[in-house]
Amino acid sequence: MSLSNLTRPWAAFSYGFLDPSAKREIRRKMIKAIAVPGCQIPYASREVPIARGWGTGGLQVTLTLIKPASVVKVIDQGADDSVNAASIRRFLSRVSGAGETWDTLAATIVQSRHRIPEERLRDDQVLVLQVPNPEPLRPVQPNMSIARQMHADADYGRLWLVLYEQMVRSGRIMQGAAYPALVNGRHVMTPSPIPRWDVPKLNMARHLTFLSAGREKRLYAVPPFTRVEPLVFSDVPYKVEDHTRLTCHRSGLTGVFMNEIPQAAGGSVFEASDSHLGIKAIRRAEGDAAEIGPLWYQNGEFRG
Amino acid sequence: MAYVATRGGERAIEQAERLYREQLGTIDAARVQGLRDALPWLIDRVMGEASLYDADLAALALAQAGGDLYEAVLLLRAWRTTQPRIAIAAPVLQEDLFTHRRISAAFKDIPGGQILGPTLDYAHRLLATDVLGGADFVPVPVTPAPQAAPAQQPSLAAWQKAMGLVADPPRAEVATDDIPDVTREPLLFPAARAHSLQSLARADTGGVLALGYAAMRGYGNAHPTVNELRLAEAEVMVRHPSGVSFSAGRVKVSQAEVTSKGKSGQLELGFCATFGWNEVKVIAGATLDLNAGGAEKGSAVEEEFVLYHTEPVESSGFCIHFKLPHYVTFQSALDAMRGAAVADPAKEEVPA
Amino acid sequence: MADPVPTQDDLRDNAAFEALMWAMARPGSLHDLPGGIADLVLALVDRECRVLVDDPSLAQVVAATGAALVAAEGADHAFLTRAEGALAVLAALPAGSPLYPDQGATLVLPATLGQGQRLRLTGPGIEGATEVHISGLPDGFIDLRAARCRYPEGVDMVFVDVSRIMALPRSTTVEGI
Repeated sequence: MSLSNLTRPWAAFSYGFLDPSAKREIRRKMIKAIAVPGCQIPYASREVPIARGWGTGGLQVTLTLIKPASVVKVIDQGADDSVNAASIRRFLSRVSGAGETWDTLAATIVQSRHRIPEERLRDDQVLVLQVPNPEPLRPVQPNMSIARQMHADADYGRLWLVLYEQMVRSGRIMQGAAYPALVNGRHVMTPSPIPRWDVPKLNMARHLTFLSAGREKRLYAVPPFTRVEPLVFSDVPYKVEDHTRLTCHRSGLTGVFMNEIPQAAGGSVFEASDSHLGIKAIRRAEGDAAEIGPLWYQNGEFRG
Repeated sequence: MAYVATRGGERAIEQAERLYREQLGTIDAARVQGLRDALPWLIDRVMGEASLYDADLAALALAQAGGDLYEAVLLLRAWRTTQPRIAIAAPVLQEDLFTHRRISAAFKDIPGGQILGPTLDYAHRLLATDVLGGADFVPVPVTPAPQAAPAQQPSLAAWQKAMGLVADPPRAEVATDDIPDVTREPLLFPAARAHSLQSLARADTGGVLALGYAAMRGYGNAHPTVNELRLAEAEVMVRHPSGVSFSAGRVKVSQAEVTSKGKSGQLELGFCATFGWNEVKVIAGATLDLNAGGAEKGSAVEEEFVLYHTEPVESSGFCIHFKLPHYVTFQSALDAMRGAAVADPAKEEVPA
Repeated sequence: MADPVPTQDDLRDNAAFEALMWAMARPGSLHDLPGGIADLVLALVDRECRVLVDDPSLAQVVAATGAALVAAEGADHAFLTRAEGALAVLAALPAGSPLYPDQGATLVLPATLGQGQRLRLTGPGIEGATEVHISGLPDGFIDLRAARCRYPEGVDMVFVDVSRIMALPRSTTVEGI
């Protein structure tokens, strides 16, 4: 054996940027994440060429999965052309030769910050959610060692208490995005800061979801057909954002999650947060062929 | 397409990056070489925080980042990610270091002697404004001592151990090739000793100073005395697959040991070492190490608190990430707020 | 940046992992693994790993990754080429802890898939329930698995039938029919 067969010929960067041994570590952790849905799996989390907090966790998972035949869609707040999404998508194709798309239907991997597309994901698709804070217990326990012990004991009483106090104080649960959910009846996870609108899309879904926090060095998964139940009281139903009656002022879409655009003259208009769905709806209205897949919500009702 | 035209994100980011790079101008080998030669202490600091010892790459990163330290460290760390690990260097013993500077505040004199080496400690910090007027600052040549100090110096802690002043800390029984590596394994708490020291070694100098200073001012449990501070060079010994050990070169290292009287009646030691010469970091880091034992959960000197919050790439990245759009989460919060305003809490059924 | 062309090793590891990932995500489903068990070793194992193997030539593949070769008690991965020792290995492999369920090991072992004992699987990754046929496992293996998989602790399993794999993560409930 010599040094030359311990290593490979020098190259400035590996395929898919990550060194093969970084990928092997992430693969091992992804397998454990699938085996224990919703359980936060610690990983080394190498540095990648974007800043921590900007999607480095999602990026490491995507870089591990990616191959030349992959087609990636990257969204931030639902938009493909949002600055950070564009930057990540460009990086992915630059280091892998994978295809890029804005169309949810065409993607093999969807990496997202804060949204799940409105078109239903299929069983051959992988959703990679970027996670800023993987710990649903952080609001009640900032110390990660203690929080881990609470997960070990399935000690979620203090989370319930927070929700109960909101009910008492405000007459409703005030949790906005990142609504905590019980996964496979065992681990409470944060679904990442997706709106409440998107959480049901993880429950008994057909696709595979990875959630990865690069800065906090934790990744977890929701396999297909896995129970993801938002924490609610039996007599107070889970409430998604009240967007079903809003209409997108650009595309005419209704029954999707909206961005509110304040108007100088007062009041607001709304636009579909899933920007490419909006584009496809406009194209269809203009007579172009643009396929829109089945939506998770129909007539304001979640269909799954 | 109207929907897209008003956004134009892709073009905007491209032009914004161009603007930044245009303002920095052309980066050539001469600029990189110039930085490397002119700013050795900064290069050292960057190499330490990057945990990548290569002065040329550090200078290149500084050039590309225009001197923004967090950007430079991120560039180097990201580059490091792409590199395979081909060998594991042998551990370095204190007494084998090629020592340039070694001082102790604990004793007037120590076995092996106090060696000042290069320092501004006792200099008057006067700005050489004449340089701007065209008069070069030419350093006065050093007059060598009649007898050079020995390159290798004993460890003061070894003498203290022999005198029964310092408890011999427990040693982890681990083969040197199996010493845990925090860049390849997750940091968990309570942390492996190797992980703590590695994390301190690559911690943010400013962050370590802030927390270490807080500990020194009384937010910790122990007041440090500098037992030994060293600036040195370490031989990097690696093993060829044939079994032969050879030197792959030398790296500059700093290390500090601080001490205080422990509850056991013996002295306790805190330790920190890093790549490059960076005295502030190792003294502050050793102070935090000294304070970590028995620290209260969530206190500013507890290991988990210290190591999470002094990680330069994580802390700076998360800080600037707040510039990213958060309008979906904001919209979700607004919805809950408006919903609460409509509901009358008094009439709302609350589960018992 | 250089042209992003994957090496043969990159492609092999990527494909092996994809097969394993979907096998784990859909317990009971079959996936192609052209290179067999060695491909899983190469896609997963590194010098941080502690590995049990029962075969000298596979041991060489593992050793070349830098991983330590250990007994079952200390292993995070076990790669078996014969089913004979599987009971003892399964009995001894770490199953993780409530704090770190991820420290439960991965056991890779041979089996004949698509014939033999009928098993009914339920749990994450399975729509309702699914049935599989498997043979070549030691007697009592499925019962021992149930005893070792006290969710969220447990051992995750991958069955290799020459160039096809099927997985049973610890989250799957298995009933003999």
